[in-house]
Amino acid sequence: MRPADRYLGYLLISPALLVLAAIALFPILAAVGLSLQRRLPIFHIAAFVGLENYRFLMADPRFWNSLGNTVYFTAVSVALELMLGLGIALLLDRPFSGRGWMRAIILIPWAIPTVVTARMWEWLYNVEFGLLNHLLMATGFVTESVNWLGSPFWAIHSAILMDVWKTTPFAAILLMAGMQTIPRELYLAARVDGAGPWAIFWHITLPSLKPLILVVLLFRTLDAFRVFDAIYVLTGGGPANTTETISVYAYKVLFQTLQFGYGSTLAVMTFACVAFISLIYLKLLGRDYWRRLVQ
Amino acid sequence: MIQIFNKTLLVLGAAWFLLGCSTPDEVKGKAGVVKVVFKHGKIAGSPGSFRSLLKRFEEENPGIIVKDETLPSSTDQQHQFYVISLEGRSAEFDVLSMDVIWVQEFARAGWIRDLSHLLPPEEREQFFPGPIGAVIFEGTIYAVPWYIDAGLLYYRKDLLDKYNFDPPRIWEDLVVISKTILKGEGDPNLRGFVWQGKQYEGLICNVLEYIWSAGGDVLNKDGKVNLDSDQAQVALAFMRDLIVRYGVSPQMVTTADEEATRRIFGEGRAIFLRNWPYAWNLFDREGSKVRGKVGVAPLPSFPGFSSAATLGGWQLGINRYSRHPKEAEALIQFLTSPEIQRWMALEIGYKPTRKALYQDERLLAAQPFITGLYGVFLSARPRPVSPYYLMFSQMMQPEFSAVLVGLKSPEKALQDAQLQMDHILSGRPEA
Repeated sequence: MRPADRYLGYLLISPALLVLAAIALFPILAAVGLSLQRRLPIFHIAAFVGLENYRFLMADPRFWNSLGNTVYFTAVSVALELMLGLGIALLLDRPFSGRGWMRAIILIPWAIPTVVTARMWEWLYNVEFGLLNHLLMATGFVTESVNWLGSPFWAIHSAILMDVWKTTPFAAILLMAGMQTIPRELYLAARVDGAGPWAIFWHITLPSLKPLILVVLLFRTLDAFRVFDAIYVLTGGGPANTTETISVYAYKVLFQTLQFGYGSTLAVMTFACVAFISLIYLKLLGRDYWRRLVQ
Repeated sequence: MIQIFNKTLLVLGAAWFLLGCSTPDEVKGKAGVVKVVFKHGKIAGSPGSFRSLLKRFEEENPGIIVKDETLPSSTDQQHQFYVISLEGRSAEFDVLSMDVIWVQEFARAGWIRDLSHLLPPEEREQFFPGPIGAVIFEGTIYAVPWYIDAGLLYYRKDLLDKYNFDPPRIWEDLVVISKTILKGEGDPNLRGFVWQGKQYEGLICNVLEYIWSAGGDVLNKDGKVNLDSDQAQVALAFMRDLIVRYGVSPQMVTTADEEATRRIFGEGRAIFLRNWPYAWNLFDREGSKVRGKVGVAPLPSFPGFSSAATLGGWQLGINRYSRHPKEAEALIQFLTSPEIQRWMALEIGYKPTRKALYQDERLLAAQPFITGLYGVFLSARPRPVSPYYLMFSQMMQPEFSAVLVGLKSPEKALQDAQLQMDHILSGRPEA
């Protein structure tokens, strides 16, 4: 590459870089700046306090509780989504009549806005009028209505179930796309060599899907870790903060109690966690994958 | 290239021409006409009816036009909108409608104007004391009470009559009545007493009614936190007992808000309901399953103490950065006048903040049950009147919720809440 070309290259990408800086870098830096302040507009307080907010955060039981909830929610929902998504993708990968329709239909939950989904599930979970309790009672699985959103044990799992329902299609579609790219000859050759379905799945499908599985995990983990609207609408973080995730806590601190400094600290911590998770996944994916993707 | 350039110029020119023509009309309006922007939450009734009211104001006040803008119906989002706009010194709206718990906060922040001159002492006397207390911050009045809300006990008149009961005066009577009727009716779908126990602002409204009616309070006279008290323990323990020990309230109250409980009662599936006055109109309208079977009473209390209802309702104030405060004041005076308050009560069911209207013949003829509300509104108590209230609320909500679902004992929950709230008042609100 000639030096002149390189300069031209920088020149050509500079508008994109400027836009990125304006819409991504600037807000992040502004949040970091705020997180170092004690900022309470109600009391006209705006003072630089260094790392004081972070020190407080380390001793804040509500932060640790919300972090725990977030990690649990993310781990369980993403694991379930991946397994179910893989299963659905395998089913839809085989030819059968009406497959096109099926593929379109399973996307519906993914297409519904989260707030609408949450309201819908709120009704499904309703103790007195909900369909879920009605079905469980009618089939004799339970004798008394389950208090899905009002009991500490069930509330978080109800939120996870809703998230799984909503986002499994996303995992399924991505994985299905990946399966389409596996050369059919590989399967034929394996069958000729006498491999059973399980061996074929284990030694051909799964390894070929590895990069896509990691991509699904990356996207879903990041989304689940920042979960806000689903929880906020479904439970508001209750009962007794058992479903309060970091994003919900940050929202309450920032916009309901107007502690802009500490709220930003929580937001920056969320950002740091998400960035850390991304780094791990990108490392796992390896450089080769990205190089191939670009080519 | 040059052609494209020319075309661009042409388009820009046309745009400039169009904008240029419309500018004087938009900004200055007709000679001397001032536009007042009024932000509020969703207003009940048909969309046209509130507009017709504003039209009347415009006719009575030539030279002022009102643009009213409805905010999202969730009060959290309205609060968020005001906070962001006012902190950003927005002059885009003049009059704002505020929940009773926001006025102290907005006044402390200096976001709303001093309106003391609109309510001189003799005028102040015309209003219920609760809302007046909530709009005074450090001796100055920052808003005018627009309409009022308070917690009420709805009961099934037909069922209580059938078993010869009067509405309960004390909480234990409510338990006894519920148990007797539940047993007598033997209907597996009937519930005793439904109320709001979800972790949200409504939970605070409910819990305070028990704490107050046991003689406790959140703040003492010196403004110090006094939540961790025997009275509050009695109150919270009783609420948990309603669900677990007496089995009078269903499990679902721990996740219920106003609408969830209003529906159950409206379906004829509960004997008692704690809710705001708005539910009455829904129970009383045609097609309602409980029409004509509902009675309203003050909430019960613990023996030896008086009943207490949490005060709600909305107040009108003026944006500090408004460019038309005089015209905005005219709008507020119009909307809070006796005549318009009566109109709002008749047309959309919003309860007046002026005491005299509860003896108004036209209003009584149309809505006889409001006589029963007078006493409740008169003694309705505001949630802690403090600019710190929204922070307090965020600390109390999870603790109260923890008691209702059995994660913490009342003692422990109250201690934990008290500790956090003390910390706020000790001068470092963020830590």
